[in-house]
Amino acid sequence: MTAGRRSPTQALVELFTDPRELGYEESARRHGGRPPRHLYDRPVIVLTCLVLGFVLAVAWVHVNRGAPTAAKVHAGLVKRARAAQGDVQSLTSTETALDAELQKVRVAALAGSSGLLRQLSLSQIDAGSAAVTGPGVEVRLSEPTVAAQPTTLPGAGARTPASGGHVLTQRDLRSVVNQLWSDGAEAIAVNGIRLTATSAIRFAGDAVLVDFQPINSPYAVDAIGNSNALVTAFAASDVASRYQTLAGAEGIGFSFREERSLELPAGPAATLRYAHLAKGR
Amino acid sequence: MIAALALVVGIVAGLVLRPTVPTWLEPYLPIAVVAALDAVFGAVRARLDDVFDAKVFVVSFVSNVLVAALIVYLGDKLGVGSQLSTAVVVVLGIRIFGNAAAIRRRLFRA
Repeated sequence: MTAGRRSPTQALVELFTDPRELGYEESARRHGGRPPRHLYDRPVIVLTCLVLGFVLAVAWVHVNRGAPTAAKVHAGLVKRARAAQGDVQSLTSTETALDAELQKVRVAALAGSSGLLRQLSLSQIDAGSAAVTGPGVEVRLSEPTVAAQPTTLPGAGARTPASGGHVLTQRDLRSVVNQLWSDGAEAIAVNGIRLTATSAIRFAGDAVLVDFQPINSPYAVDAIGNSNALVTAFAASDVASRYQTLAGAEGIGFSFREERSLELPAGPAATLRYAHLAKGR
Repeated sequence: MIAALALVVGIVAGLVLRPTVPTWLEPYLPIAVVAALDAVFGAVRARLDDVFDAKVFVVSFVSNVLVAALIVYLGDKLGVGSQLSTAVVVVLGIRIFGNAAAIRRRLFRA
């Protein structure tokens, strides 16, 4: 078999089908069918194998060097976020307890003048700083659930998006809330957060913030009012038909129903720094 | 066998010393690894075929690494660095597969 006669295509095909290191065979042929033995055989092999092993280990170390640090940083951030959440929760419960105490003291102080007390309760309901109960409507919106998607990246398993799709934004919540107000709602709460006269629905990144408190899908908007009128007006509104279409097209969850009795918590009492009573009142 | 022992010692040394790879050397690390694996499998196959020659082993390993590094370096300068690196890794990977298959045939048939 003459090496020179092989065409380049054949050599290429042989490269794939039978990748022998021809150097070994040619050196064996040159030395009469047996592999040659030299004095330097052993040390050279040992040295080369050392270098080989070293290169493999260095590559492995290089690739995996950053992994534990990244995991540690991630764990640290998660811990801080959880601790901050815990702080917020404990402060909120302290605030609610103090609010209740304040209300008790107020009622006791105004026990004599019942007219004033009644006026105060009505103002509190209007301002959203007293818990209320009554019939109304509950509107539910939720992000479409996205199944785990297999990726084509080697080494990465199927990925589940952290929070489903992101079709709903704060604008959707705002339009639902505005529609309910215009349909005659007297008190509205979003995911258990009461809307007061100074509440705003904003967003930060992917999270929707109601009064600076982040909420997640699914969103529940509870509105107290004339439940019959509310439900009829809401069902006939543009907002409802838009979300019905979205539910069909994008798979978001959208539903609303009349509720016989809803209980809405008190909203945070706003500290007014610049607004004062107009003169003459 | 003393070669396998030396390989293990080299791996342990690399794990213990944990050297930092300089940035300019980083793109050549994967091809060095694949060339090293190709040389190992080729040597084992030659040993089983009883044609192993230490000189050929060393020269083939070093020249494979150097030629592959040269190809990747040229590719980097010409703007096809990642593609050529992929090509080098693919070709050497196919050779590894072929040698491993031959070793398997020798071990479980002969």
